[in-house]
Amino acid sequence: MPSSTSSFEIVLEAPARHAPPPGLRLTAADRPGVAQPVPERDIPAQPWRAISLAVLVITAALTGAWEWRARTHGLRAGDLNDGPSAWAEQRRRIDTEPVAVAIVGDSRILFDTNLDRFQALTGVRPVQLALQGTNGRPFLENLADDPKFKGLVIVGMAETSYFRKGVGLMKAALDRAHYESPAQRGSFLIKRELERHIAFIDHDSQLSSMIARLDPGLRPGADDNPYDDVWKISETFDDRQTALWPRIEQDTYLRVQARHAWDGFRGKPITKDVIAMTEARTRAAVNKIRARGGEVVFVRPPDAAALRVNEEKRLPRSAGWDALLKAVNARGVHADDLPAAQDLTVPEFSHLNAKCAVVFTDAYVRRLTQLTARLRLRPDAPPPLSTADCAPGSTRVKGAGPRA
Amino acid sequence: MVFNSLIFVAFFALVLALHSLPFSWTQKKINLLIASYIFYSAWNPPFVILLWISTVVDWFAAQEMIRAKNPWRRHAWMLASVIANLGMLGYFKYGQFLLDNFVTLAAALGVHYHPPKFDIVLPVGISFYTFATLSYTLDVYLRRATPARNFLDYALFVTFFPHLVAGPIMRPTELVPQFAEPRRASPDQLRFGLALMTLGLFQKVVLADGFLAPAVQGVYDAGKAPGMLDAWMSTLAFSGQIFCDFAGYSTTAIGVALCLGFAMPDNFRFPYAAVGFSDFWRRWHITLSSWLRDYVYIPLGGNRHGEVRTYASLMGTMLIGGLWHGANWTFVVWGGLHGLYLAVERLLRGRFSDFRPGAWSLAALGLLTFILTNITWVFFRAKTFDKAWTVLRGMAGANAHAPPLVAAVYLITTAAIVSGIVAAHAYMRNRTLEQVVARVHPAAIVMVWSAMAFAVIIEQGSGDAFIYFQF
Repeated sequence: MPSSTSSFEIVLEAPARHAPPPGLRLTAADRPGVAQPVPERDIPAQPWRAISLAVLVITAALTGAWEWRARTHGLRAGDLNDGPSAWAEQRRRIDTEPVAVAIVGDSRILFDTNLDRFQALTGVRPVQLALQGTNGRPFLENLADDPKFKGLVIVGMAETSYFRKGVGLMKAALDRAHYESPAQRGSFLIKRELERHIAFIDHDSQLSSMIARLDPGLRPGADDNPYDDVWKISETFDDRQTALWPRIEQDTYLRVQARHAWDGFRGKPITKDVIAMTEARTRAAVNKIRARGGEVVFVRPPDAAALRVNEEKRLPRSAGWDALLKAVNARGVHADDLPAAQDLTVPEFSHLNAKCAVVFTDAYVRRLTQLTARLRLRPDAPPPLSTADCAPGSTRVKGAGPRA
Repeated sequence: MVFNSLIFVAFFALVLALHSLPFSWTQKKINLLIASYIFYSAWNPPFVILLWISTVVDWFAAQEMIRAKNPWRRHAWMLASVIANLGMLGYFKYGQFLLDNFVTLAAALGVHYHPPKFDIVLPVGISFYTFATLSYTLDVYLRRATPARNFLDYALFVTFFPHLVAGPIMRPTELVPQFAEPRRASPDQLRFGLALMTLGLFQKVVLADGFLAPAVQGVYDAGKAPGMLDAWMSTLAFSGQIFCDFAGYSTTAIGVALCLGFAMPDNFRFPYAAVGFSDFWRRWHITLSSWLRDYVYIPLGGNRHGEVRTYASLMGTMLIGGLWHGANWTFVVWGGLHGLYLAVERLLRGRFSDFRPGAWSLAALGLLTFILTNITWVFFRAKTFDKAWTVLRGMAGANAHAPPLVAAVYLITTAAIVSGIVAAHAYMRNRTLEQVVARVHPAAIVMVWSAMAFAVIIEQGSGDAFIYFQF
């Protein structure tokens, strides 16, 4: 590209002091102590029109084939993916509208709550603020510190997630709610619209992740063995309605891997100081919310016996759930105490399948309406569900899915 | 916004469309200026004010320098520009660092001072545009260039979005003249620009973020001490990651500018093929190293005042270069190590001036340069000296019974990618990309370009910021 003349003149010529080898163009590295001239960029002599057209066609064809492959592997257009921006969008609703019910917690309450069923029963559609792999307590505290929130908080709990010091995987969500740049917001909105139509856009199905997962654990003991990670287990739709990915139920390899990733929820017992800290901070948050007219209730979703036995070893119900409710003087619904929520299908041991999530939601919401005046059953609420309604072959309930 | 984001795709398409409409050249420049402010404010709108301050201060300083009748007045305006720019940089980038060090020093003297914690957000790219705009007043002061006669051209030079936040650090003489006449990319410039953007994004999204970052994080962000294999592979992965991240940004920026009809300078020249550290710094982040040479090393005396002064200038420049990268002593050590390498190389070149290496000697010296560069990367990547020593001990095989940290698949991909990068740099050592592209069969270009574009699409990317944005 030829340089041009300008009002901005180079006063000194730029002699090359360190001549590069023949064939290399000069850079500022070769011209010390002088004004640098307008760079020159040559365009290689090639049939660029034909090349770019061919690239366009081939890339489009490959991408189309990739989309077909994604759909055959169970990915669906309309699965919107979760993340900090999606969470922050829901969190901001508290700033702009009177939110009657918000849910915080970990992945169990996230997967196991069907927002449509909740709304059909009570007329209220909760703001879903639970997050995968994340401790619900800091998010309860976040709501407690927000004077705009005066509604009901449902705290979902897996004890091993709630009774710990750290935030967990999704601390970035809190940061994003605190400040989301216009660029982050813009990219999020564009991506969400693309996700409504394209199935392969899925953060668990990136090229590098798929290649990493070819490693079946060749280096035993390595901290970051991809086979030990949690792979795709969920789908997310509008309002962060999240459900277990149906392929986990259908594909034995994926189901076995998902169970393997939980490692039985084994670990060291929760220490007394962590229990005391959790109770104290929960009590403080609950009191803050109550002081301005709000309320807090707790929900403990079910999991499979294979995990429950280890969870009980780390923190027995009496020392965790029961003691917490007593310490904070709050009410709660434990899956063990819900007759309608027994023997539900938990394919990978930790989360209900999408249909059983509807049954569990039905059961716990009905119980909550008896525990707090903030939720009332609508006169036209659908009839109660039972475990049989999410048994294989039953068509009475439909799990979460993309909106039409 | 970052180049590897969907919002940038939409933004760039709009800018390209606007730039191709039949507006007057002045209107097109105004469009580019507004677009550049939007590009910058997409991170944090209030920080545009800093950009304006920097722009206006240096514009007036340069004008006043030309009007000044006596030398001290010229000198005063130059100092005003330097103080204003470095003052902003110092406050936002080094404020907390300086305070922390003051507290440490005071504590060492027995004075226990507990100031409130600063909560300063670092404006993205401040180090880059500060250096770009400083070069304007310094070039005018040093009489290398006359001031721009047109404020619009000058403001666009400071703000032009392809180079604004992570370089290449452009000199006014490189860019301002390009705004004098209407520019629009030819169809082939546009296509080659898009090819360069694809190459840059492939380096960033696929290689740096997708495949190399996990191996780096597995050691540098872990709480355990690594063994020899993990420490070396993770550090090698970082050498690939930092190159692909930053060279990827520069290549994308050059492609973006080319699509709009502008030329930007090379910022990298296949640095892992360098033989020696003076060669490395003529190939790595060229626009920064040449900036430091022209505005720090030479004013400090350069090599014109005897050996001792030369070595002092060299070390001083590299320490400042290290600190430029971040407010942490680890970066200073990184710069100091490079200063030491350059000093030793200079000493050896003086002692063995008759030495003419053959092909094998060159290869061995190149390999030594690469290994020593990797040692410096440990300090660049580690957040603390403790971490750096732990990794270095691992590289020396001194962490007994260290558990495996990095999965086999990441060891394999790191070995493949870093070997590929080094081999490509060795092949390209005395070539340019354009020369090679001109020689290959068009079908090969189609194959490589399609593969890179497809890989970028299916890697998807997460819009991770480029590493150099934090500098």
